[in-house]
Amino acid sequence: MDSVHLPSRSVSIVAVAAVRARAAGATLRRLVAFTLIAIGTLVTKAGKSPQVMRPLMTEQVFRVGVKLVPIVCFLGITLGIVIVGQTVTVLQTVGAVKFTGMLLVTVVIRELAPLVAGLVVLARVGTASVIELATARALGEVEALEALGIDPIHYLVVPRVVGFTVAVATLTAHFVLLALVSGYAFAFARGLPLTLTGYFGDIATALSWADFPLLALKTSLFGAVTGMIICYQGLSQALRLEEVGAATTRTVAQCVVGCLCIDALFVPVYLLL
Amino acid sequence: MSDDAVIEMSGVAVANPHGSDVPVVASVDWRVARGECWVVAGQQGSGKTTVIETAAGLRPASRGEVRLFGEPLPSPAGEAMARLRQRVGFVFEGAGRLFPDLGVAENIALPLRYHRHLTAAESSAELRPLMEAFQLERFANLAPGRIGRAWARRAGLARAMASRPELVLLDNPLEGLDPVHLRWWRGFLAELVHGHPWLGGKPATVVIATDELRPLLGIGTRFATVDGGRWKVLGDREAVSASDDPAVRELMDERN
Repeated sequence: MDSVHLPSRSVSIVAVAAVRARAAGATLRRLVAFTLIAIGTLVTKAGKSPQVMRPLMTEQVFRVGVKLVPIVCFLGITLGIVIVGQTVTVLQTVGAVKFTGMLLVTVVIRELAPLVAGLVVLARVGTASVIELATARALGEVEALEALGIDPIHYLVVPRVVGFTVAVATLTAHFVLLALVSGYAFAFARGLPLTLTGYFGDIATALSWADFPLLALKTSLFGAVTGMIICYQGLSQALRLEEVGAATTRTVAQCVVGCLCIDALFVPVYLLL
Repeated sequence: MSDDAVIEMSGVAVANPHGSDVPVVASVDWRVARGECWVVAGQQGSGKTTVIETAAGLRPASRGEVRLFGEPLPSPAGEAMARLRQRVGFVFEGAGRLFPDLGVAENIALPLRYHRHLTAAESSAELRPLMEAFQLERFANLAPGRIGRAWARRAGLARAMASRPELVLLDNPLEGLDPVHLRWWRGFLAELVHGHPWLGGKPATVVIATDELRPLLGIGTRFATVDGGRWKVLGDREAVSASDDPAVRELMDERN
């Protein structure tokens, strides 16, 4: 039988793609294993050591959530003007103002707000957390916790995942509110014939009751996945100083991919509403 | 296996912490009885730290069996291991591996607050005698990075002692100390071996890893060395003093 010869460049691209795919598969398996261990710890140790764990969780919620309120408010206002204001103006111009509510619910509430909140959290706190955890691992703090009989997953991972989950969900709510209000303010300032009650009435009509739990679930998943990937990259292996930068870059890429995958899973659900 | 054995290692190959398949120490057969003070000596990088970390259940053995308090080591992440580790105090080398985001007092109180659910005030009241005995009160609210290395190591010791352990393992506790700290540590170790008030006056079982034998000759009751990947039990003080093993003589600092 004649053998088929592929051009060498094609072969090398296929080989590299295969290696990359295998590496991605291995990373995904380890990440899933890490997530299952963390979920197991979260469930089995829920409520354990409240004197230590509650302040840790509060600190993470403050660090990831409260401290980012100003930047998320700023983004909410500016993106509200840029996106919502312009959208409303264009819809008015083309006479499609009746679609305002539906468009804003789909674009701003369901898609833009969770992604912006997730990305801000990732950029402002996530990358720093990877470095912090990698340093803790390199300095032997994980072994120090184990020596004290303290589960490092419980002490280091659970508060961060809880903090990221709560933060992304609440920051999304801030963003939505400010984007919609600033968008209306922009349209009002431009003298568009749009009443406040009409504008928010359209949005309320376009929203279904399922949007609220779905938004809460989606943003919580964004936060949980981001927190989990950050903890995995920071703790799963002992990093040398020169490897921390690459781990941080990997974390950002994996978090973005993770959030977009979750986003894609929600599309068919939203289409059914 | 007798009842008074605290650590038992039989045919243990001590795994390389850097991931190599070649064990750091090929075969360790070791039995530490209750109340004994073992000094494990070896040059830097010989693997003595890894041996005592394996004995404490902080690292898995490549081969063989490790038993603590007469029981095989349970699963590392389980509650049984957490309970076991509360009976063991481990003092790390250097600055004691304190947690940088907690103050000195918070570091020391952490095991009590985590395991016994004490409030800050309760743990502070309970640990006051320990803080006083270790002269750490003035550093209580400082971050670990703000105090000297010797004081940080002492705080690491206080954290290991907080839960009143039955077995205390110390990694190179006397390394790089000035004469004042050295004197305090030698006094503390002697007291620990004979019965420290914090432990209710009962003699603790102690294991000390060191790269210099002489300062611990008067404290240890049993001695062993790690040299070239081999584990060797020397015996008591007299056996160490009488040993003509060049490695032992070197660790006794008699070549200088």
